[in-house]
Amino acid sequence: MKLEFFDSNVFIGRPMNGLFGAVRRADDLLLEMEKQNIGKAIVWHMFQYEGSPVEGNRILAQELAKSEKLYGCWTILPPQTGEVISKDFFERMKKNRIVALNAFPEWHRFVLDNVGFGKFLNEVSERKIPLFLTMGRTCISWESIHRLMRDFPNLTCVLCDIGIWGVDRYTWPLVEKFPRFYLESSLLSLEEGGMEATVKRFGSERIVFGTGFPLRYPKAAILNLVHADISEKDKENIASKNLEKILQEEQL
Amino acid sequence: MSTLWEKFLEHGKVEECPIYDMHAHMGSYCRIYFPYGDFDPEITKDRLDRAGIKMLIFCSHWALFSPDIGNRANIDVVRKLPGQLRAYCGLNPNYPEIIEKDVDEFEKYKDVFVGFKLLASYHRLSITHPNYAPAWKYADKNGLLVLLHTWGGDQFNGPEQIRIVAEKYPGAKILMGHSCHGEWDKAVQLMKDFPNVYAELCAVVDDRGGLEKFLESCSSTQIVFGTDWPWFNHHYYIGAVLDAGVSDQDAHNIFHLNAEKLLAPLIF
Repeated sequence: MKLEFFDSNVFIGRPMNGLFGAVRRADDLLLEMEKQNIGKAIVWHMFQYEGSPVEGNRILAQELAKSEKLYGCWTILPPQTGEVISKDFFERMKKNRIVALNAFPEWHRFVLDNVGFGKFLNEVSERKIPLFLTMGRTCISWESIHRLMRDFPNLTCVLCDIGIWGVDRYTWPLVEKFPRFYLESSLLSLEEGGMEATVKRFGSERIVFGTGFPLRYPKAAILNLVHADISEKDKENIASKNLEKILQEEQL
Repeated sequence: MSTLWEKFLEHGKVEECPIYDMHAHMGSYCRIYFPYGDFDPEITKDRLDRAGIKMLIFCSHWALFSPDIGNRANIDVVRKLPGQLRAYCGLNPNYPEIIEKDVDEFEKYKDVFVGFKLLASYHRLSITHPNYAPAWKYADKNGLLVLLHTWGGDQFNGPEQIRIVAEKYPGAKILMGHSCHGEWDKAVQLMKDFPNVYAELCAVVDDRGGLEKFLESCSSTQIVFGTDWPWFNHHYYIGAVLDAGVSDQDAHNIFHLNAEKLLAPLIF
């Protein structure tokens, strides 16, 4: 059986300090996806993190116009400053094929909780818009993620780059308690037996495929999933169906 | 595209390309949950066979972290799955009397051990410390493998310390576990300067770029495959190596040919 892959974890744009194999534009990413047999991807731009979420979000939208295989992920800041979140925010998301949000509270220096984001994240939860968080760069602590999910138990949250060392002791309580908390697979695949153990404990519906490209090797995540000791249906769910379902449920 | 990639993608393993995992562990460890940490001969064999792992060379976490348990943890496990397992005799320099005893008894366990494992960052004494000397001398004399835990900038087993032991013990086959992680240029220089020094890929291929640099600067005959299993997954690491622009010949060298040459005098 040939799996269809929908990559939930890639970025474009070259980091300021350089990165082996980083891709500048959507066209370069599309070439890599074709090489790896990955059909679709949710993408963000490195400038959203390193430079300006406002300008980075704009550059991303411009790049997305090049292909319908790519969907966007915009970076949010506290609504109070009005830098990113405006009255027509969700309309602008829809117009620009932005299907997800991400946040880097530690790097962008704010607190992602009910105090600053109560009204906004309640609406994000109701609209079932996925919020992507990462453990892979200065973003958020485990304590803050646990607090965020306690504040917004219905939030659709995808945790990316979960950790080089196995992190089941941190993530499994979240997966168990919050039905819309998902794990991105690129580093779950790295853990020996991580994929199988998580599926056995919680089912395959709570994992979405990701490669971590350009930081990591797509073939690593692909080979792990293709030969994981789980059913073919579970593999299909993880490769693309779970992410498709999340996007189908979303109300923009 | 690598033809080996197509075969691994289809079958998960390739008969003509067996894998030797030269850097592994065994048993549970307090700071992490391992789904496959506890040794069970059948389950371990099944996990190894899924990815075509012909031989896994490990050192038990318990041997490294408990002088009270010591290398018995390695001996018992290898003898339950001798067709696919060998071990490194774990050394803790904080207990030099145990090192002396283990070296004295090494000959008794030739069916188990192929060399020594040093974990100097954790044991907080440099790989050049005199307490290790009996093992280094024995490895040098007998052409044994010595697996190090090497990390860029590390004061206990960084590039500078490796240079000292590589020069002093040319008969030992030094595997730079993690390949001086992050200081790839220094790892390359060590491989160029010392034919008895090898790069080992555990943690190197967690990110792109390190292996590519080795292949650009050195021969693939000085690179061996390792995963820290049961920390990391074999298919993940195989996919990573095959995504690094390696030729099939490079892949054969890394996955098995280099290991076969290193192990030939040590496995009977």
